Amino acid sequence: MPFAVRTEGLEREFKGGIRAVDGVDLEVSTGEVYGFLGPNGAGKSTTVRMLTTLLRPTGGVAFVAGHDVVREASAVRESIGVALQDAAIDPFMTGRELLRLQGVLHGLRRPAGKARAAELLERVGLTDAADRRVGTYSGGMRRRLDLAMALVHEPRVMFLDEPTTGLDPTSRFALWEEVRRLNSEAGTTVFLTTQYLEEADQLAGRVSIIDDGHIVAEGTPAALKAEIGDPTLTVTLQRPEDAATAEAALEDLGRAAPSESGRVCLRLPDGAAALPEVVRRLDMAGVPAAGLDIAQPTLDDVFLVKTGRRLEGDAVDEEEPVAGAAEAAAPSST
Amino acid sequence: MTSLRQTGALAWRSITGVARLPQAWFPALFFPLVLMAIFTGSFANAPGGIPGFPPVRSFLDFAIAGAVLQGVLIGGTTAGAAFAQDIEGGFFDRLVASPTSRVSILAGRLGGSVALAMVQGLLFVGIAVIFGARIENGLPGLLAVLVIAALLAVAAGGLGIFLALRSGSAEAVQGTFPLFLILLFFSSAFFPRETMDGWFRAVADANPISYVVEGMREQIVGGAQAGSTLVAIAITAGLAVLALTGCALAFRRRVAGVS
Repeated sequence: MPFAVRTEGLEREFKGGIRAVDGVDLEVSTGEVYGFLGPNGAGKSTTVRMLTTLLRPTGGVAFVAGHDVVREASAVRESIGVALQDAAIDPFMTGRELLRLQGVLHGLRRPAGKARAAELLERVGLTDAADRRVGTYSGGMRRRLDLAMALVHEPRVMFLDEPTTGLDPTSRFALWEEVRRLNSEAGTTVFLTTQYLEEADQLAGRVSIIDDGHIVAEGTPAALKAEIGDPTLTVTLQRPEDAATAEAALEDLGRAAPSESGRVCLRLPDGAAALPEVVRRLDMAGVPAAGLDIAQPTLDDVFLVKTGRRLEGDAVDEEEPVAGAAEAAAPSST
Repeated sequence: MTSLRQTGALAWRSITGVARLPQAWFPALFFPLVLMAIFTGSFANAPGGIPGFPPVRSFLDFAIAGAVLQGVLIGGTTAGAAFAQDIEGGFFDRLVASPTSRVSILAGRLGGSVALAMVQGLLFVGIAVIFGARIENGLPGLLAVLVIAALLAVAAGGLGIFLALRSGSAEAVQGTFPLFLILLFFSSAFFPRETMDGWFRAVADANPISYVVEGMREQIVGGAQAGSTLVAIAITAGLAVLALTGCALAFRRRVAGVS
């Protein structure tokens, strides 16, 4: 089984002719952590639902763990672990009860199920909370239990749908650690959807970006970033109305990039080396800047270039401010 | 074998869910008792006092079947709403994406409904007996009442689950509850058809619930003809088959993702 997930021309058309997924080809190798990115409504969840046998494709084929998701759905279900977005967990049951239940559903015998539940509780650090009702758990604890439930039967392919959405940074790091361990120790293939580009960058060996039902980019995060190329300069203006003047002044230093109002963005082939020239040009044009930033390309930039928009609510903390440039550079001219 | 254990585990979860949530079991146990108390208090002299009222020992004997019926119908809504919550919360997806059989998913929830119906039947009869009621047909009578209650629980729970599968919303399922009540009140659940007249009588005559409650009641108040009990069993079994067929179709439709 060279591919843990393979699709060819996968399609899902809904009533009214809307094609949520429109010809998706994916190849995820066994043992890989694969990041599947896309804004809301891009077809991300629909694709995952088809791969996990929750939704029937209307076109194309999909194989998970070597089995056809339509014709061999039960074989697929036995091979996969699924932790879907909402951490689907009964508040009135205890963590241990839910793990035992999950064990029975996967055909574990009573003693085996009991041992497995205890082992998984220990592994995700919930032993102390095991006999408390899930309703009293924090968000991070719920996600960890959710992950443990998906692991009961030692699945070969694990689907994680936005596993850290809404978690605080500490809980997020803990979950990442768990995913890495799962992949490195058990060799489990992980198919991860996320809105957090940093998450994909941290965990995934390869990522693809889906937009409007199509895959618009695929590769390792590093390759995708390199493809975007040049570092981005962001000039924050003191007076938003100066935008046009500033753009004109900096025009030939690099390619203009999309920006919010009050800012001017530019891809600088020369990177930080071009900064003195930028400052000089702005000064000459009589444009006071409130801040200058240079950032290496991030997955967020890849996303922006490929889809024309940013991922809502995503804070990517990868900017590498050039020393002294940020905030300090506010040349008062004239 | 595996699917039996799956069903058992899911039924246990349904029962636990109801048992640990007072807002789930309280209405199903409390309201029928209140109604039974009110009717019994208000109409203590009805038998014999109202023209057409059939001969019964006391109104309390008469009221038990209506209470069981009401409790089971409430339980059906509860099961439907719980199933819808599983859909809303994603637990249903987790089940469907696991090797759990479709039958176990439905049977697990219905098993919870039947268990609740048994508790209701025994509790209502028990309380009524404490207050002086009597099951004229004794243990076989009680068993007949429980069988009808169990079948009705499958039918009502099946209808609730069908609504859950079609709507995917607990609120929508709970919104249908007044319809259950109308069905109940426009039947002979609380008064014999003999005391009714005109259009109301016509509605009660056409309402299958009338025959279900009468089948139970005759076991309690005595004078049962095997016929009416068999009719009640046949009707509840028929409704159960209908509801389960609807569930199976709605299940397929939801998973195929037609809409």
